[in-house]
Amino acid sequence: MSDLKATMLKKPVNRRTALKAATGAAASMYAFGVAGKSYQRALAQHDIRAQILQIPGVGAGQPTDADMQRVGELCLEPTRANVQPGEFNGVELTFMGLNNQNLHNIVFRALLAAWVEYTGATINWIDLAQADYNPRLQQAIATGTVDFDILEMGAPFEGDVCGQGLASVMPDWVKDQIDMDDYVGYLQAPVGTWDGNTYRISIDGDAHNFNYRTDVFGSEDLAAEWAASGGEGDYGVPRTWQQVKAMNSFLYGKELDGQPLYGYLDAPKPWGGFGFYFLGSRASAYAKHPDSKAWLFDPETMAPYVNNPAWVRAIGEVAENIPLLPPDQINADPNTTGFSQFLAGTGSMCTWWGDVGSNAKTNDSSIIGDVVGFDILPGSVDVYNNATGEWDTPAEPNYSPNEAYIGWGVYVMSSVDSDPVKQKAAWSAAAHLGGKDLSLWTVAYPSGFQPSRNSHFNIEEWVNAGYDEAFIQNYLDSEANSYNHPNAAIEPRIPGIFQYYSIAEDELQRGWADGTDAQTIADNIAAAWESITDEIGRESQVALYQASLG
Amino acid sequence: MSDAPAVATNTWDAAPGGVSSERKRLGRLIIAAATLALFAMLLVQALHTADRIDTGFANWRPILYIYLIWAVVLAVGLVVMRGELGHRALFILPAVLFTVSMVVFPTIFGLYIAFTDWNLSSTSGRNFSGLDNLRKLVHDKFFWTAMENMVYYVLSVLVQFAIAFLLAVLLNQEIRGRKFFRVVFLLPFMLSPVAVSWMIGKSMFETRFGPAATLARKLGWDQPAFFTDPWIARLSIMSMDWWVWIPFMMILLLAGLQALPHEILESARVDGATAWQSFWQMTFPLLLPVSITAVVLRIIFQLKIADIIITVTSGAPGGATDSVTSFIYREYRDRSNVGYGTALAEFYLVVIIVFMTVLLWLTNKWMRRFT
Amino acid sequence: MSATTPPVHYRHAGRNWRRVLTRTLTYAILLFWAAICLFPIYWTITTSFKVAVDITQGHLVPWLQYQPDWKGWRSLGLSPDTIREFSTPREEFLKRFRNSLFVALGAASLAVVIGSMAAYGLTRFNYRFGPFRNKDISFWFLSQLILPPVALALPFLVLYKELALLDSRTGLILVYTLTVLPIVIWIMRDQFQTIPLELEQAAMVDGSTVWGAFTRIVLPIALPGMVAAFILSVILCWNEYFFAALLTSTKATTLPVMVASQTGSQGINWWTMAAISAAAILPLIVIAILLERWIVKGLATGAVK
Repeated sequence: MSDLKATMLKKPVNRRTALKAATGAAASMYAFGVAGKSYQRALAQHDIRAQILQIPGVGAGQPTDADMQRVGELCLEPTRANVQPGEFNGVELTFMGLNNQNLHNIVFRALLAAWVEYTGATINWIDLAQADYNPRLQQAIATGTVDFDILEMGAPFEGDVCGQGLASVMPDWVKDQIDMDDYVGYLQAPVGTWDGNTYRISIDGDAHNFNYRTDVFGSEDLAAEWAASGGEGDYGVPRTWQQVKAMNSFLYGKELDGQPLYGYLDAPKPWGGFGFYFLGSRASAYAKHPDSKAWLFDPETMAPYVNNPAWVRAIGEVAENIPLLPPDQINADPNTTGFSQFLAGTGSMCTWWGDVGSNAKTNDSSIIGDVVGFDILPGSVDVYNNATGEWDTPAEPNYSPNEAYIGWGVYVMSSVDSDPVKQKAAWSAAAHLGGKDLSLWTVAYPSGFQPSRNSHFNIEEWVNAGYDEAFIQNYLDSEANSYNHPNAAIEPRIPGIFQYYSIAEDELQRGWADGTDAQTIADNIAAAWESITDEIGRESQVALYQASLG
Repeated sequence: MSDAPAVATNTWDAAPGGVSSERKRLGRLIIAAATLALFAMLLVQALHTADRIDTGFANWRPILYIYLIWAVVLAVGLVVMRGELGHRALFILPAVLFTVSMVVFPTIFGLYIAFTDWNLSSTSGRNFSGLDNLRKLVHDKFFWTAMENMVYYVLSVLVQFAIAFLLAVLLNQEIRGRKFFRVVFLLPFMLSPVAVSWMIGKSMFETRFGPAATLARKLGWDQPAFFTDPWIARLSIMSMDWWVWIPFMMILLLAGLQALPHEILESARVDGATAWQSFWQMTFPLLLPVSITAVVLRIIFQLKIADIIITVTSGAPGGATDSVTSFIYREYRDRSNVGYGTALAEFYLVVIIVFMTVLLWLTNKWMRRFT
Repeated sequence: MSATTPPVHYRHAGRNWRRVLTRTLTYAILLFWAAICLFPIYWTITTSFKVAVDITQGHLVPWLQYQPDWKGWRSLGLSPDTIREFSTPREEFLKRFRNSLFVALGAASLAVVIGSMAAYGLTRFNYRFGPFRNKDISFWFLSQLILPPVALALPFLVLYKELALLDSRTGLILVYTLTVLPIVIWIMRDQFQTIPLELEQAAMVDGSTVWGAFTRIVLPIALPGMVAAFILSVILCWNEYFFAALLTSTKATTLPVMVASQTGSQGINWWTMAAISAAAILPLIVIAILLERWIVKGLATGAVK
């Protein structure tokens, strides 16, 4: 038996034998009734984790609806332990979440199919387009039309929802079922909590990382050209924004395998507020000083920092870069840069949430799966200090990964609390989706989610699933190093944060399209932000901003 | 034209009288009683909602049913009270009552929030802010860019009209495969603007693999970019809009052409007029009423153009393709700025009503000079 | 002789030549426009059978340039290999399809019924409502068409919440009726104006009431116009997105919202988008083929006053 386990844990096992061995192990255990219960469970769990990662297997195309239903069925064990079959007969739940193509709710539906069958509950779905999500949630809160029981939501809205008592406090049995201690550091409290109560089942980790093309930066021809053109330093992956800038000019007009090359892909087009994160990622190394946690607003007055020299520099660099990018780039939103361009082979560098990495090999749109590398966001040789109003030049470049959005979580609404059966059903459904094993599958395949638990960083499991070891190590490192960075730039969890982002996007694109100078653009944004702060209420915003900085 | 006086010979003469005074009194009584009951229920429910009294319904839905019953009683009362005249009133009553009841609350409530600073994220809810929103509007350059764009979008209706007219004339000829062409030309109108935005705006106009870009490259445009230059972006948006709406104008005009009396056209031909002459002297003037109907209807739709812009460009580049509605939509949806967004919408509504009134007046005057 | 005959010949030949030219030009324009109308639809349908590589290479012709794949339809559960299995997206798609159908037909019917009545009243009788006369009432109906939907969004949300009409097909039918009613009234007014009053007067002499004359004499004549108004209303309601996105959530959701929500944060699966778009327009294409004649015929009766 132990031999078997050892073989399974060892790396170079091809998919089929791993699967065979796993089922064989389980079968023999049942047959001979050997081994203690705990051992049996451990092995069974490992068995399940290996098994689900084979569905459909890396390189076998995007998972189908049937695949996902199967994964949901295999991961039902924790639910079986806490819920009797048919226990929720007649209970009707409503789930509100995103309906991005084949992701989010589409995935949840299929993953919950087995849960629905086992417990007898029914689930109604509110599917929202990404752009409709924020307003729908805001409208529900403002007009008191909370017509859902379970909610997929990002941490930025916790102030709006948990702060107003709209969410249900997580029962202890759920905490045990989903093993919350497994969460990566930055997803632990205070994220997911409000006034000391826990509300959130995290299913996603979010940070912007840096994606680049290994073939472009490994090309000897280009290296020779770089040296010939008098490029500074060795040719290779840029590690500071200053180097990125030099590389953008160098790559413009060059070709690789007959395809035109472009440098870093900026995304100037508004994207419902989400596009502002991409300017944030360009600015964080300039604007996030290690001495202070605040980088968007002055924590005392909510005066915007967005028109300080650090942000102005970032805004100006985007403007300089746009002419060096493909035609029509002014009309490219992050969705375009990440998926239509980068994954499809246009552009050499781009910033995105980790999805680009997990999609590089499993998304049907991707054609660059083998030539993509990952790192944390580039740094900067100097960093702006708001306290002194000077640029500081640290000995090492200043790095500051942008922990944009802090990931999706599943929340249960307090409206279910009056009905104990419904409350248990809602939490059970949420816990099923946030399950430890199930989440391994969702972060490995296109689902909209990225690694969020320490157990997701077990390279062996990924390799057994068919990933190339160097690739996955590189990817998971970039994620882990972003999550755990001491100088990370943290998203403020204040009400209306997307309004700030959205007006900024409009001003940015207008400015870039018209060729307005960066300082004026930044001043316009700052003025608009001030008026939003006044509209929402300055005092409460200051208090909440300080709280969110910790 | 809609507001041309109804053709006199085609209208019934004034009301026949002959309803006894008892019937009048009875009718009035019925209506008064029903109205009183309706208001009483409204009052009870309002007090219940305000937590003043316990009796009442969980929501306002039952009031809706009571309103329906009231409408029926009102109809009966009118017939009893006015006899023949009451019968006549019944024709228009359902549409009037329906429209009034659907828009009265949204209009009043909309006007109210237009004067508040209601931001959905604000913890203090909505506060009266007087004319602040209007003052902000005056300085909002995005809004004025959008207003300017509306001028172009509305003018582009004339281009659509020209193309639609040409197609309608061609379809009215003796041609082979007429049925085929007519069905095919109608198809674009069937597509939802959302689908058009994606499959044309985002897929066909894609700069690398979209067929429109490929074609543009073959025609000598090296680096086709459909949404970068403000005017090209506007034209791209317009072209999609034309694609969807030309069929609508075309069928209106085609219907007009088919209704033209054949004898007149024949007589023109006998007189030896060339096709060109007979078109300008006979067909075009005869089609003028239909043409104006088509253009005015289209302008009304055009004033609300939004779906395609929201999906394809979100106003890019820098607001150059924004329509007023698409800009308000962004203010509203992405920034939850309900007070200001509604103020913009109400202001725009006033502008439109003034514009439409002038337009209708002008077309009327113009028509009279022609006929 | 030779001085007089050639011009005649020449003129004749010239006419023929011009006739041919006109014919050629006519067909050239017709074919060109047919291509413009059909290509995007062709593009949508073929894209639903493509995989990523075929899309990034801009392939146009199936079988010749690429091998069609059921991928797009599979993700909807509508491909041959998934049609028998249980599929969550298909359930969703069918539910929305039914809702769209029900709502579009319901709103169009309601609008045609009350719109025709109002239009008849407005053409035949002189109403007075305070200072308002027929002309003003007509303009008032028309002005409902002018209202930008965003102005009504939040008020409608609040109103519907109070009336418990949120996420109900009835609620959606009511809003859609409101939006198409002006067009129906407009079209039907033109219809009724062309019907000679004598027919009704004759019926009245025979002892018929106003309503009797309306239902037995006028409506049958105006039927083609009503069909045209009905079809136009169905099309507009079927494609409506804004109110559908605002006022529905689970039970009454319609197709355009499903198309729009395919646009996510993680790229676009063109094949799925194309498959949904194609499936959503299919019923309307059938309508166009079967009923096109009715639309034009119906509008034609009222076209010239």
